[in-house]
Amino acid sequence: MKKVVMGNHAVSYGVRASEVKVISAYPVTPQTHIVELLSELVANGEIDAKFIKVESEHSAMAACVGASAAGSRTFTATSSQGLLLMTEMLHWAVGARLPIVLTNVNRAIGPPWSIWTDQNDSLSMRDVGWIQIYCESNQETQDAIPQAFKIAEEINLPVMLVLDAFFLSHTYEIVDLLETEQVRDFLPPYNPEIKLDTNDPHSFGNLSGPDYYMELRYMIEEAMNDARGVIKRVGKEFGEHFGRYYDMVVPYRCDDADLILVTSGTVASTTRAVIDEMRDEGIKIGALKIRVLRPFPFKEVSDILCSTKKVAVLDRNISFGNHGVFFQEVKSALYGKTDIPIIGYILGLGGRDVTPKVIREVADKAIKDKNPEPYINWIGVKR
Amino acid sequence: MREARIPTEELMGSGHLACQGCGATIAMRFALKALGSKTILVIPACCWAVIDGTFPHSAVDVPIFHTAFETAAVTAAGVKAGLEMRGDFETTVVAWAGDGGTFDIGLQALSGTAERNDDIIYVCYDNEAYMNTGIQRSSSTPVGAWTTTTPVTNYKTRPKKNMIDIMAAHAIPYIATASVAYPEDLIRKFKKAKAIKGTKYIQILAPCPTGWKLSPELTIWAGRKAVTSKVYPMLEITENGNKLTVWKDFEATSFKEYIKPQGRFRHLKENEIEKIGKDVESSWQRLLAREKMLASIPGLEA
Amino acid sequence: MSKQIKFDSYREMPIRSMTLDNMLWNKTGSWRNVKPVYDNKVSPCILGCPAGENIQHYIQLVIDKKYKEAWETIIESNPMPAVTGRVCSHPCMGKCTRGDYDEAVNINAIERTLGDMGIDNPGWMRESEKTKKQKVAVIGSGPAGLSAAFYLARAGYSVTLYETEKALGGVLRWGIPEYRLPNCVLDGVIESILNSGPISVKTETVVGKEIKLKELEDNFDAIFIGIGLMESRKLGISNEDCEGVESGLEYLKRVNSGDNLDSSKKTVVIGGGNTAMDVARSALRKGSDVTVVYRRTQAEMPAIASEIEEAEKEGVNFRFLAAPKEIVAEGGKLSKVLFQEMELGEPDESGRRRPVPLEGKTFTMEVGRLFTAIGERADLDGFGPEVDTEWDLIKVNGEFGETNKKNIFAGGDIVTGAASVVEAVAAGRKAAEKIIRVFIGEADPPKQEETEFGIENINVDYFTKSNRTLNPRISVEEAKKGFEEILTGFDEQLLQKEVDRCFSCGVCNYCDNCWVYCPDTAIVRKDDRYEIDYDYCKGCLVCVEECPRSALSIEEEGK
Ligand SMILES: Cc1cc2nc3c(=O)[nH]c(=O)nc-3n(C[C@H](O)[C@H](O)[C@H](O)COP(=O)(O)OP(=O)(O)OC[C@H]3O[C@@H](n4cnc5c(N)ncnc54)[C@H](O)[C@@H]3O)c2cc1C
Ligand SMILES: Cc1ncc(C[n+]2csc(CCOP(=O)(O)OP(=O)(O)O)c2C)c(N)n1
Ligand code: SF4
Ligand code: SF4
Ligand code: SF4
Ligand SMILES: [Mg+2]
Repeated sequence: MKKVVMGNHAVSYGVRASEVKVISAYPVTPQTHIVELLSELVANGEIDAKFIKVESEHSAMAACVGASAAGSRTFTATSSQGLLLMTEMLHWAVGARLPIVLTNVNRAIGPPWSIWTDQNDSLSMRDVGWIQIYCESNQETQDAIPQAFKIAEEINLPVMLVLDAFFLSHTYEIVDLLETEQVRDFLPPYNPEIKLDTNDPHSFGNLSGPDYYMELRYMIEEAMNDARGVIKRVGKEFGEHFGRYYDMVVPYRCDDADLILVTSGTVASTTRAVIDEMRDEGIKIGALKIRVLRPFPFKEVSDILCSTKKVAVLDRNISFGNHGVFFQEVKSALYGKTDIPIIGYILGLGGRDVTPKVIREVADKAIKDKNPEPYINWIGVKR
Repeated sequence: MREARIPTEELMGSGHLACQGCGATIAMRFALKALGSKTILVIPACCWAVIDGTFPHSAVDVPIFHTAFETAAVTAAGVKAGLEMRGDFETTVVAWAGDGGTFDIGLQALSGTAERNDDIIYVCYDNEAYMNTGIQRSSSTPVGAWTTTTPVTNYKTRPKKNMIDIMAAHAIPYIATASVAYPEDLIRKFKKAKAIKGTKYIQILAPCPTGWKLSPELTIWAGRKAVTSKVYPMLEITENGNKLTVWKDFEATSFKEYIKPQGRFRHLKENEIEKIGKDVESSWQRLLAREKMLASIPGLEA
Repeated sequence: MSKQIKFDSYREMPIRSMTLDNMLWNKTGSWRNVKPVYDNKVSPCILGCPAGENIQHYIQLVIDKKYKEAWETIIESNPMPAVTGRVCSHPCMGKCTRGDYDEAVNINAIERTLGDMGIDNPGWMRESEKTKKQKVAVIGSGPAGLSAAFYLARAGYSVTLYETEKALGGVLRWGIPEYRLPNCVLDGVIESILNSGPISVKTETVVGKEIKLKELEDNFDAIFIGIGLMESRKLGISNEDCEGVESGLEYLKRVNSGDNLDSSKKTVVIGGGNTAMDVARSALRKGSDVTVVYRRTQAEMPAIASEIEEAEKEGVNFRFLAAPKEIVAEGGKLSKVLFQEMELGEPDESGRRRPVPLEGKTFTMEVGRLFTAIGERADLDGFGPEVDTEWDLIKVNGEFGETNKKNIFAGGDIVTGAASVVEAVAAGRKAAEKIIRVFIGEADPPKQEETEFGIENINVDYFTKSNRTLNPRISVEEAKKGFEEILTGFDEQLLQKEVDRCFSCGVCNYCDNCWVYCPDTAIVRKDDRYEIDYDYCKGCLVCVEECPRSALSIEEEGK
């Protein structure tokens, strides 16, 4: 069924279709609609779940951790300050190998207070061990949820789905809503073998000396590596079920491009429009959207980017002291494989609009920039 | 052999990592005897996070989920929800935290859980300081006590936080204190709590020989004298905070006797002991007055 | 016992930090430097009981309502709890630790109650062992003789019991009045003893006279002499043989025989022991106005304290520090007695202060009847040179009543001088056991070590103060009217109330405390005991501290 819905509600419908059993969340702009609609869907029985209305995000994630450890499919959503408050428990979910799915609406971090988008909140959780998938459309924010559970439950790691504040969360688009019955074929009910169960008592998370901690971490890394294949496979399977295919990265007119713009989130769509415009002008330019940040798609990224002459990375985030995060990631993916220039651009922080004009400006600049000093360029800063 | 006084089932085994004479361990042993094997424990950072044993071994024969310091209550609430959504309505979920994890860092999550009245038993084994990290003060540390962060030259001057009143303010169905020195009472309270739906709060005085600078064989002695000296009243609050029952049927002993073998109070001077002793008595009197007062409100009497 | 799990590769590990086994590989016993050991002591009451009754044990059995087993436990050391439970001066209670806390446990009343149950349940008495070939003669059927006969017969040895009188019991029958020890009770006890094994009785037979000791020596493998002290000591003053002067013992014998005596006269009893009290109170019951005259003060009276108290309550008058000096007779009949007043001087060998006459101080009393009760003595006629004697008593060597003759043993008052029922019982049993050991060629058991045990060994936190439960009784007014028994035993409720007061000093009574409180689950509760698993006991000593009764001790590690 197709319906015009806002991005946040698309998330809620994705949760409904995934037969989530325990939801625990705390409201924070711009995520609130997710929680509100979920409350309603739980209240009216459309979702057969318990919604634990906690007193903080830290507790939200703790409740999810508990419920997931007990063997139930578990979901939460948050944003910015809330995500940061969860930090400790985000780590806990990973160490405990719990397949929790979280939707984070990318929002800038205070102070000053800002409710508008940028990626610094989710990116500050980059190294926690969550799979991170950056969504581009309302359709994708919905479709990503059953996929996320399928991936998470297969590799026993949590998945964070990310969408831009307002540009997606509050924007209405036509979404082909998933039906629970259809999804059940794709995503069977969660029934883990290992869980908190008095018939099979184990203690989870006991003190571990230096003798085994590393091995346990090694296995998380192994799971992350395995996740690459799983994400691809699940994206394909989803396509087979629903006609919409997903992958780690999405190249756009890259084949003969001399310059490729690397993007993520909603900026990717805007960028594609600019690419079309420039291609019409005869400029050999393409775009590469990175959909999955963790595990990082090294092979896909280097395969595509090694065939071009120049790479420009558009970062809606800043890792103070070391440029944008996607820029770092792309550089490391290409290390030793090519010596083409890789240039980073910081833009759109705190919700600053990234219009086609801004992207064009970046593209034009990138064409001119030759191994520029510094590598990093702030776009649109009032100097 | 006579009939056993308490259930013989042992769900907490030997080989655990607690110090000699650890009261927290005794508390666990009793609690599990009361609750039986259909129990899941959620344990945050605290001594018990270590006592249980090292990966991949556990001294406890029921499932345990070790969680972050401040999250015992809500993690337990999550576990309960998770179980119920799997169709398990039978298992008792117990949050088992220290006083630090309860009075201090875990207070918020506990308050949230209690306010929602999630169906768990929350246990605070109260050893009156952060023992796991090496005996630092908590808001449960009693006035007058030494800890590594309240040195004798600057011992704790603020009274122990009244956690019971805080919990009572949440109008939860059951609140009780217990002491390791009174196993039958403790077991009775756990059994009672198990049968009630909603959030149950049980605070167990669990003397810590290491942290109290107490000879280990005196653990139970201290657990008993704390009660008979009125320092740690045994009480139950039922009817959503409306009924208070204080145990009074004991031969009262002195505050001075209680603190005497405890090194954490050794620095106190005679007049300071006297003053604290008086405060103990007035708190006790207030408690009794409160008991009477609640009983006298028409419509609230049982 | 589990082994510590070790992984060589992460491939062997679960993906999460999840436990796979218990901690039993971690032998925390190595943390210990002192260790608790179960170490029962001997309760002080047991040491206080001359018969060594296992009081602590039978009280615990009573708590468990194992009345038969409790009774059997007493019977192991005393065949007549219904008697001692009535007349014993209960030195056990003097040793009871509870006496230093509130009041000693009423062991005597508990014993009596069980003794009465034994009489009511003759089936409780076990069959004697199969009959052995040896035969033993027991002379005298007082508590010593009865006790010896019982333990011998029970073990299967044939006993012939010789008794001068026509009925058995010695002082129990002819001395102690019915208001303290009813004949029916005594009959029941004696019956149970006689039924306990191969005992044949020869009454109205005076050994030494009608049958010579030598003859018995020839016909029996061993002899026990328990002939007691059946003669009253004389005052040794003028007119002692006139009408109206009588030995207290004779009087009691007549009272106990049911003679209808008229005592409606002013009566004086000389003496301060149990005999004096029994005579005084018996005479009182027969309608006399009775005064006991004793040459020392009340504090020195050898009678059981409660007897003196009762006598006073019933209206017996006491005149202390006076001794008869002269009996005045008119026409061969007693009329007056002249008394010498006394004062207390230096202590004598008994430790009591010696009465010395107050020069020139005398007084005279009109007296209708005078009873002497200044002590009893033995009639050793026919025993004399055969066995060694000393101070008119039979001389024994050691604690089992061995006389100079290999096969002759003696016990009871005839050895100790005037003592007590329980001592006689103990002597009879010990001699019997010794005789049996001689028969079977067994060595004497090692002497029991006496351990110090006091209130400091009790964790009093586990006990609340309470008063001793007293025997129900008839009023003094009722009591005075006749010879009805004054005290009653406990009903079950009173019995349970009183046994509950027992500390069970030094002896584990399965209170569970040690097991309950062990922080290391290192104490294993077995069907009949507890065991410490030293693999895991960390040596905190909580168990030792919380044992209410010091049934655990501390041992240095490595010793
Ligand atoms: C009046 C009185 C009251 C007492 N009250 C108490 C009391 O309340 N509590 C207490 O503990 N003690 C009491 N005693 C002391 C106690 O009774 C004696 O210590 C105890 O009875 C001694 O026991 P026995 O077996 O040695 O001797 P006895 O009881 O004196 O028995 C000796 C028996 O041997 C028999 N006999 C003697 N010579 C011969 C012989 N040649 N041949 C055959 N048979 C013979 C006698 O007839 C008698 O039956 C009292 C004593 C008296 C006299
Ligand atoms: C967020 C966080 N802060 C601090 C710590 C360090 N820490 C671990 S246990 C503990 C004290 C625990 O005290 P309490 O709850 O009273 O339990 P106890 O150790 O006394 O049994 C502290 C401070 C932690 N684990 N997590
Ligand atoms: S420090 Fe105290 S509470 Fe912690 S294990 Fe030792 S005795 Fe127990
Ligand atoms: S504590 Fe109780 S059970 Fe343990 S030894 Fe002492 S008396 Fe026996
Ligand atoms: S209480 Fe347990 S650990 Fe402590 S000394 Fe006794 S048996 Fe050993
Ligand atoms: Mg603590």
